[in-house]
Amino acid sequence: MQLAESYMEETAITVELPRFGSCSFTPSEVVEFPWGLPGFPSLRNWLPLNLESHPSFVWLQSLDDHSVALPSIDPWLVFEDYDPKLPAYAFTSLEIREAGDFATLCVVVVTPNAEEMTINLMAPVVINLRTKKARQIMLDGSSYSSREPIPRKRPSKVPASSKSA
Amino acid sequence: MLVLSRKINQSIMIGDDVRIVIVAVDRDQVKLGIEAPRAVPVHRSEVYEEIRRANQEALGAAPAAAGKAEKATLKPRK
Repeated sequence: MQLAESYMEETAITVELPRFGSCSFTPSEVVEFPWGLPGFPSLRNWLPLNLESHPSFVWLQSLDDHSVALPSIDPWLVFEDYDPKLPAYAFTSLEIREAGDFATLCVVVVTPNAEEMTINLMAPVVINLRTKKARQIMLDGSSYSSREPIPRKRPSKVPASSKSA
Repeated sequence: MLVLSRKINQSIMIGDDVRIVIVAVDRDQVKLGIEAPRAVPVHRSEVYEEIRRANQEALGAAPAAAGKAEKATLKPRK
């Protein structure tokens, strides 16, 4: 049993990250941005990480340049009514077929005093959970801001509301 | 940079499947029609530039040392 498992297991890769220290991952955990991200066009391979101290943030850690990590958050944790109308190219290029196929994250600017924290609602990162391919989608012509201030007083968890997805 | 002259209703092909048509010209404003495959994103350059800057800013503001991290589990929206 043990032998079979270790045979099937992917090779774990360990990297030393300036922000997070030592980290092991397997290739199937890597999220690929085939088109890069605006500002980081050549960084294709990223690893989503959580800090124990702030579990609601997802850090997108570049595996191509270890000095690059972008903090992000599930936008609905902050703005329940967020309604990104994803353009057709998002679904086509990421081969997304249904709603359960993908996760959405928005990059945040974390300043030392959390009062000024902003979230980029104009360009959500969409990740196909099946293929692990992702892309930052620009909501051209939407009214969402790339620097929306995150309200300081926000519920620690999203209250159960009548609004459904 | 390649520079081409076009008249109204004339167009330019980029590759085999992207076509840009000059729809209207009014003083210093040009209206373009763009035909591209559904998988090809088309944006005003300012939007791309704004997102590029926002990403750089997010990196710049991120603390240099954050602490021990674990792999995150990504979930679809409930």
